[in-house]
Amino acid sequence: MRRLLGTTTAALSSAALVLTMAACTGGDTAEAVEDGGSATLKVWVMGDAGPAFTDLTAAFTEDTGIKLQVDAIPWENVNDKLTTAVASGDGPDVVQIGLSLLPTFADAGVLADLTDVLAEHPALAPSNFPDAVAPENLSTDGVALSVPWVSDTRVLFYRSDILAEAGHDAAPTTWDDMRSVAKELAQRGEGQFGYYIPLWDNTLPVQYTWQAGGDVVDADGAVDFRSPEFAAAADHWLGFFEDGSAPTATDWDQTQGFVSGATPMVVSGPYLAKAIRDAAPELDGSWSVTTLPADQTGTSLFAGSNLGIWKTSKHPDEAAQLLDFLAQPDNQIAWYDAVGELPTSSAALTELAGRGDEQLSVYVDQLDDARTVPMVPGWDLVANEMASALTAIATTGADKQSTLDAFYAKADEIQSNY
Amino acid sequence: MTVLAPPRLQAPPVTRPSRRHRGGWVPYAFVAPAMVVLVAFAVLPILVAGVVSTTDMDISGLADPSSVSFVGLENYRRLVADPQFWNALRTTGAFTVVGVPVIVVASLAVALLLHRSGGRLASTLRAFYFLPAITAIVAVALVWGYLYNSQFGLLNYLLSLVGLGPVPWLSDPTWARFSVGLVAVWRATGLNIIIFLAALQGIPHEYDEAAQLDGATELQRTRRITVPLLRFAIFFVTVTTVISWLQFFDEPYVLTQGGPNDATTSISLYIYEQGFRYNQFGFASAGSLVLFVIIAVVTVVQLRLRGSDDH
Amino acid sequence: MTTDTRPVRPRRTTRQPSRLVTNLVLIVGAAATALPFFWMIFSALKPRSEAVAYPPRLLPAEPTLEFVRYLFTTLDFGRYLVNTLVVVAIGFVGLLLMAMAGYAFAKFQFRGRGLLFALVLSTMMIPVQVTMIPTYLILARIGLTNTLVGIALPTLVSAFSIFLFRQFMTTIPDEVLEAARIDGAGEIRIFLSLVLPMSGPILAVQTVLTFIAGWNSFLWPLVIAGDQSRYTLSVGLALLNQQVATNPSLQMAGAAVMVVPILVVFVIFQRYIVQGFTLSGLK
Repeated sequence: MRRLLGTTTAALSSAALVLTMAACTGGDTAEAVEDGGSATLKVWVMGDAGPAFTDLTAAFTEDTGIKLQVDAIPWENVNDKLTTAVASGDGPDVVQIGLSLLPTFADAGVLADLTDVLAEHPALAPSNFPDAVAPENLSTDGVALSVPWVSDTRVLFYRSDILAEAGHDAAPTTWDDMRSVAKELAQRGEGQFGYYIPLWDNTLPVQYTWQAGGDVVDADGAVDFRSPEFAAAADHWLGFFEDGSAPTATDWDQTQGFVSGATPMVVSGPYLAKAIRDAAPELDGSWSVTTLPADQTGTSLFAGSNLGIWKTSKHPDEAAQLLDFLAQPDNQIAWYDAVGELPTSSAALTELAGRGDEQLSVYVDQLDDARTVPMVPGWDLVANEMASALTAIATTGADKQSTLDAFYAKADEIQSNY
Repeated sequence: MTVLAPPRLQAPPVTRPSRRHRGGWVPYAFVAPAMVVLVAFAVLPILVAGVVSTTDMDISGLADPSSVSFVGLENYRRLVADPQFWNALRTTGAFTVVGVPVIVVASLAVALLLHRSGGRLASTLRAFYFLPAITAIVAVALVWGYLYNSQFGLLNYLLSLVGLGPVPWLSDPTWARFSVGLVAVWRATGLNIIIFLAALQGIPHEYDEAAQLDGATELQRTRRITVPLLRFAIFFVTVTTVISWLQFFDEPYVLTQGGPNDATTSISLYIYEQGFRYNQFGFASAGSLVLFVIIAVVTVVQLRLRGSDDH
Repeated sequence: MTTDTRPVRPRRTTRQPSRLVTNLVLIVGAAATALPFFWMIFSALKPRSEAVAYPPRLLPAEPTLEFVRYLFTTLDFGRYLVNTLVVVAIGFVGLLLMAMAGYAFAKFQFRGRGLLFALVLSTMMIPVQVTMIPTYLILARIGLTNTLVGIALPTLVSAFSIFLFRQFMTTIPDEVLEAARIDGAGEIRIFLSLVLPMSGPILAVQTVLTFIAGWNSFLWPLVIAGDQSRYTLSVGLALLNQQVATNPSLQMAGAAVMVVPILVVFVIFQRYIVQGFTLSGLK
């Protein structure tokens, strides 16, 4: 018992010690934010890009004297973080916003109107960026609440070695090609497939709808899935599961599936290229990327992130300076070189395309024919309903028509709640 | 059995006024700090949730409270009309009905075996059984994600060694329920084993020895003497386990995000998604209040049942 | 795994012939239970190429500390570790508050006691998700967001722990307390120098429970920490999770860094834990 008491006392007293330490260090940090004549901007970036972002912006701090405090937010918890920041009105100065979350931010009214900023900073003018991310395409009223930062688009990754073995010198270029090649590759044996479709990805059926020549919003800007083009997209999507071309496992790892060759084709973004190089450098030369196989069009998804200024920021001018700095083609290229995220500046994209890197050219080409998901409130909820309806049909043999009808009704109901 | 048991083996009576000290302001001073924290971070929030559940609070409402309007019981009506809510409720119910006995029996069985074994081996093994309880959920998700993985996971590899086909651990709705439940059982047993072990150590040897002299077999002694004497511990573990299954959240959140096809969407997960993924805070609050009431009713019923069992 | 090699000494086998079987069952069960844990530890030491190798192998062929080092050098895990320790330390203040409350509920007769205790127990039934936003608003109102105190505060007091303290402290003889009062000891002195020392085992239990809770907490550190310098290990670990480009070895290293210290705490305290529960009348 005495020994136990000793241990407990030790634990308690070391706790007290740590507390004292914290009290001291805590005070220092708080002061650091306030001190100096110049402002310190709080910047939220997503994922683990924090250190790279700090490196990139070192020159900015040197030139302007504006210090940055960069905080990384885990991707999966962006919403928790956003919600609580909105609730308290206490946010960062500059925030990175994934395009799919943009409507939520806009709806919350936490982003500053950047119309004047755009006028004052020529580098931020919409004409410097692709049309897909022009303000009128990112919100219903066309008010600029954010400026483009990094882009990401979906292209077809394929294992050229496996396709060549099956007698295909080039990747499929049309929907029909895609179906037949995928089916053929799936017949290589047990556990082998032709194509991987991430079941959690609620954008691929939308891309298919665009490719079929349709859209998922009607002329009034309301979500609308009751179109022949969406029906065609759903059929195309489901077809890969019906003939066993795509795995139905929900925990399928796309990198590993591609590296092992079990799923030698997949539609994904530039980050997959990085993941493949990290996981299997020896595969270099045995795989490649190409623009999406087309139906009426080969339209892909324009994803990525924008940057916004928090409405209550005390340093909006300094924040605008940072946005200007990050929009410079040179800095966007430096960012691409550091972390592999594509620029949004058209000039930067053109310059990258001229580097002679084949894969890079494919991304840049595809960005020319790419659109963002609809910027309407509640989109995410509807899109997830769509993904679960399709998944249910593909994996549990749910009746197609009745499942889709239920989804249409659900989509209407969700719309009416927003 | 009740007659045999000495007073100490019973749950401490709720009131024992004659022997307790009347300390004037002192007890209030001792209770106050903890109560302030509890009221501020548990009682007050649930009252707030009650108010919010009658409004259309969403993310713009959070930013600008003046845009929030009162909607009465509309959120509750929508909740009852939502098939996904009922699905989540059924899923949670199924997990509770199956999960509670599994956890209680498994923990009790391991505790009985450990107690029987005794010695240094048992105390070493005890640490092994406690390992899952101390592992952070983020780490749990990582490790089990790899074990279950359908392409390179260890479990399917081990099965393939004995010629069994690959199991779709997280991809098939039924298997996913099993897999997620297994991790929950794995995590929950550690602490319960310790509680049972403690209770077992509190049983005087005389009972067992007396029964042994009477020629009772070991199994008989366990069933007729040990287990009945553990009644309070079993009750305690059951009540806390029921509550934790009704609040089931961590495992499906990190392993399946409620999928495939909502097969593992528990009621807590459903509420979380409605609130934090889709920002419908009024609606989510209504859901959480319903869950709170369900938990309260189930717990009170259990307490009542135990009360009548004693008389 | 290590116990597999430990010789099982069949003591008193003549009286209990099935003891060997019992031990075997226990060893197999323990090995199965601990397998994911060992998988994690060994994966943390695997180079990137071995992490998802198929067929999987438990032991790394070429063990490396590369990723553990990476966590603390390139990433800010050192800072997260300090923060986590602070959150745990603040949790021990909560331990004191809960002990006080448990003591009052166990040893005093006062108006409203039954009601207050029922209130305490009822908070066990409140789903965490519901309290998140209101709690955040309360913390924002009192200016504790983005502080480590704010991170620890929402989970500082737990009904379960107050209940255990109360259960245990009812077993402290009233006579001892009365004697001290007759000697003129003040209530605070009685609590600090009499009740707490007599509550060693339950304090051990609570120390471990508090440590586990503080160490593993994820949601609050994420939400309350306004900037990264306040993140805890759990949040740091979540940062490593990218949609596609995850590095399994690095993640496992992060997970292992989180689990090993807590294991050490448990091993130190474990013999008192069972004792703590035993004496708390939980039987």
